Amino acid sequence: MNKTVSIIIVSALLVVIGIIFTGDKRSEQNVEVKDGIQYITINAQGGYFPQISDAQAGIPTKLIMRTDGAYDCSASLVIRSIGFQKILPQIGETEIDLGIPKAGKPLQGVCGMGMYSFQVRFN
Amino acid sequence: MFKTYTFHVSGTHCAACKILIEDILKEQIFVKNVSVDLKKETVEIETESEESAENLAVILTSRLKQNGYTLSVEKLIQENKPNDIIWKATPIGLIFLVLFFLLQKSGLLNVGLDGQTTPITSFIIGLIASVSSCLAIVGGLVLSLSAKISQDNVSDTKTFLIFHAGRLVSFAILGGTLGAIGNAIGVNFTFTAILGIIASLVMILLGLNLIGVFSKNKVVLPAGIFDFFRKIEHKTLTPLSIGFGTFFLPCGFTQSMQVVALGSGSFLSGFLIMLAFALGTLPMLALLSFGSASFAHSTYAPLFFKSAGVVVIGLGLFALLAGLAGLGIINPLFNI
Repeated sequence: MNKTVSIIIVSALLVVIGIIFTGDKRSEQNVEVKDGIQYITINAQGGYFPQISDAQAGIPTKLIMRTDGAYDCSASLVIRSIGFQKILPQIGETEIDLGIPKAGKPLQGVCGMGMYSFQVRFN
Repeated sequence: MFKTYTFHVSGTHCAACKILIEDILKEQIFVKNVSVDLKKETVEIETESEESAENLAVILTSRLKQNGYTLSVEKLIQENKPNDIIWKATPIGLIFLVLFFLLQKSGLLNVGLDGQTTPITSFIIGLIASVSSCLAIVGGLVLSLSAKISQDNVSDTKTFLIFHAGRLVSFAILGGTLGAIGNAIGVNFTFTAILGIIASLVMILLGLNLIGVFSKNKVVLPAGIFDFFRKIEHKTLTPLSIGFGTFFLPCGFTQSMQVVALGSGSFLSGFLIMLAFALGTLPMLALLSFGSASFAHSTYAPLFFKSAGVVVIGLGLFALLAGLAGLGIINPLFNI
């Protein structure tokens, strides 16, 4: 194969991989405050949705991980900043107490293998 | 009346090639003695044939062709050839990587399975897992090791059979053990993550080796690493223990099934669940190992090794970056 052709194909393919990797980061309404407690709901199955959530700082907050038939990596959740490490049940909701989060310190959750992640930003 | 001829040989990509070429050429009745010099890439032949050197090269090449070797009187201009192959292999490898990542992104693999996990559902989960992102680590490791073994070792089928048998048996027994002891042990994330990082480093190293970065005076071998590989890959225990080790490699599906086995409450049910899961992953992994073996012994061997090298390096980098993010060492770079 011609060297130039190959270089063109290779760069095109690398761009495609880049697009696949950066992907979309939709945000949706998944934060609600009930009886003075803020609940952030994140769905875990084939990744975490939404990937970025915006929440309020300074009020008691709970994170709810919702799974529905999750057998993939997203079931094995690690949140280093609060020392959380658990395999989520295949179906169900897991409540994680975040205490009273401070502004500007986002919470990062990753799956055990590290290819799925989510972030909660506190303002 | 014996004559001695020296031919140039091309296609010698492994230490075992010497033995293979010598064995094939010794089978020819008119050949009395053969000796292969891998360093100089020459074959010295003692023969009673009256043919000219050119004709002999053609006759002998026809015997060696199916194994990918060529004999010639003049030294073939090889300087450009390996480069040509890498220009073909890189796009081929990248196409496989793109397809693989697209499949992950497509959501086709996010099949929600409801209800009780039975051996049948765990078999299906095994099938899904074998093409999921777990393939990046487990499949990448199998592909890189298989290609490496095929490159160095002529009798690779036995090694692969031991690996797959070892994997099935270990999964079943470890699953049974989890079922029997119940919640007594926890799955340690950090341990599996570190194991995953080691696996990805092995993949990158083997991938570079397959591409040929370490071959012949380009880059000096990191002291004896490949000699070490060569030594251990000839032992029966090695494929067995690697098969055993895949139980602990980071893969969400494997970890979920381990938890199911833990909660199953008896040795037999844990045993069946993990055995069914391992059986589900078998077709894909068997395809990877036996597929590389059949490519490795065909004329496409050089192209296959280099393409496989590109794929393995890509998967290795993916697994390494993901593993580092999983350990919290770097920020997650991607969501695949």
